[in-house]
Amino acid sequence: MMLKSRILAATALVAMALPGLSIAQDGEKLRFVVVSHIGSNDPNMNWLTMAMDEFEKKYPDVDAEYISTNNYSVQEHVRLLEQAIATRPDGIAVPIVSPDAFEGPLRRAIESGIPVVAFNIPDGRPTEDRIPYLTYVGGDEFLTGKRLGEYALEQVEAGAIPAPTGVVCASHDSAHEGLKQRCAGMREVMEGAGAKFEELFIGAEPATARNTLQSFLSANTDTNYIFTVAGWSSPWAWGVANDMGLKPDVDNEGITVLTVDEGPVSIEGVRNNHILATNSQGFWLQGYAPLEWLYWNTKFGYAPQQDILTGPIVINKDNAENWAELVRNVFGEEAYNQQNTW
Amino acid sequence: MNNLVRGQSFGAVIGVALMLVVFSLIDFSGWWRSSTLSNVVHFTAILGLVAMGQALVIMTKEIDLSVGSVYGLTGVAFITLEPKLGVPGSVLAALAIAATVGLLQGLLVVKGKLPSMIVTLGGLFTARGLIYVWTGGTVQNFSEAARGNWFTRLLGGEWFGVEAAIFWMIGLCIALNVMLWGTRFGNQLLATGGSFDSAESRGVRTGRVKVVTFMLCSLLAGFAGILTLADKPQSHVTLGELMELEAIAAAVIGGCLLSGGRGSLVGAVLGAFIITSFRYELIALGAPSSWFITFVGVVLIVAVIFNQNLARRAGHSV
Repeated sequence: MMLKSRILAATALVAMALPGLSIAQDGEKLRFVVVSHIGSNDPNMNWLTMAMDEFEKKYPDVDAEYISTNNYSVQEHVRLLEQAIATRPDGIAVPIVSPDAFEGPLRRAIESGIPVVAFNIPDGRPTEDRIPYLTYVGGDEFLTGKRLGEYALEQVEAGAIPAPTGVVCASHDSAHEGLKQRCAGMREVMEGAGAKFEELFIGAEPATARNTLQSFLSANTDTNYIFTVAGWSSPWAWGVANDMGLKPDVDNEGITVLTVDEGPVSIEGVRNNHILATNSQGFWLQGYAPLEWLYWNTKFGYAPQQDILTGPIVINKDNAENWAELVRNVFGEEAYNQQNTW
Repeated sequence: MNNLVRGQSFGAVIGVALMLVVFSLIDFSGWWRSSTLSNVVHFTAILGLVAMGQALVIMTKEIDLSVGSVYGLTGVAFITLEPKLGVPGSVLAALAIAATVGLLQGLLVVKGKLPSMIVTLGGLFTARGLIYVWTGGTVQNFSEAARGNWFTRLLGGEWFGVEAAIFWMIGLCIALNVMLWGTRFGNQLLATGGSFDSAESRGVRTGRVKVVTFMLCSLLAGFAGILTLADKPQSHVTLGELMELEAIAAAVIGGCLLSGGRGSLVGAVLGAFIITSFRYELIALGAPSSWFITFVGVVLIVAVIFNQNLARRAGHSV
């Protein structure tokens, strides 16, 4: 019995040591590449890169690289993806910003044996049509808009804000599937409540975006909800409405502003009563979990049997303090205050 | 009347008149609202400043593709340097950065004998890259004290209920027109673009004229960036993105010919007014806002054809 136990223990030890041994023998680390649309102009990149640092600490036999583009161009993103594939990494994590544009390179990568995990934005097509990646790790963009819309209607019921008559979804990228899904989720709820719904492309340049939104609000006087699909554009929307005398703070009159993300701008907007609510889609997990699944797939063949949803969670005045504390710890006090553009 | 028709900005004047008639016919109550005009004129002032700089460069038969990035870089410098230098100090430092970019680009074009399109394309990427590096990609903010500073209010506040940027644009338009049409330097600038060899043979230091013009262009773009952020002090790395294209379009719609020597600063401002107004009215009429780019393209082509015909009738070779 004793001998049997020793043999089992020794076998287990050898099994655990084997992968490390093979790497040590190869003298090469695994290399996973995250090809992201979240560039250095987006504070959310911090969540992802910090999570990747933690991953590298836990798995020193892996190099995790973050590649991104700042200009929201699908073409540029595809170019970066193709460059990354050409370097033959051991795994790729990528948001499926445009299923059509990403299909070709990703199918080729998967067929050549590179495992792929989608993060942040899934391939929204039916399962049988979608790119055959291992799994999706991230929020559900449609649910993000839907949950925020539902929360707004709960607040209408409670008498905290006016009922929606017209809703504008202000988007900075007309080709971004994830942003379209956020708008679609909000549209479903708001049209269900009898409100008019419009999707407006405002661009990412601040002055142009303000000018565009102001034009829209001037011409559509029944609009009383603004949903900005990026946290950083929420102060622009609030500022435009405020300049126009449309009373955009959270109360039972004027315009109501909703936004997304757990960055300092969104959270401070909620805390200062400028924003009704924002959301978290578990950004830290989106940086960490895809790499972990790539690792376990590469080493042991593990493959999740379903998508892994990391959000959305509604951040409102009740939990904004807790979120502010968490985000301060992630970003640091100075960066947090600097990025609070209210 | 004959002078008006022969004037470089005649095409833009006709364009504005036509536009106002059409907008009045299809959306009278919406277009002639004070909030509409305030919105359109305010943004026209910002774009107009950048377009005037662009017009000056085009008059010297060059082009500056970097103005959007210089607008952004100067704005970021204004916000970022304020804690150390104070508001007036950061304005001066930011403008110095803008002038330096213009100087370097001008020297590369003149001394390096390089095409301005390539040099300023490099400037566009370099300045945008500097914005990313400088800000670390994050947004930046002004302190409460800086927002309330008298100089910030002078640049970005309201004077008598009207946005300060509008007064700055009008003042600078007058000053630059005086410079262009009433000074020796203005004459040399037009001569450099109109007939380079002739200007050189008459002793005009064309190289110096071009370098100064590039500096003026960068300074105007930078100043527009400062005015924007003094009004809404939140920097962002996308500040000024694609503005160079709108500025070039405004200058061309306003009567500037890429063949040089001919153009109008008032026309450039009117061109900016047309572009901004189209964006407003398309959205007001419910068209998808991404259609705006298509309309700018159409207006631009029509304007070039119209302005070239006008120039030929006035006896210019284009």
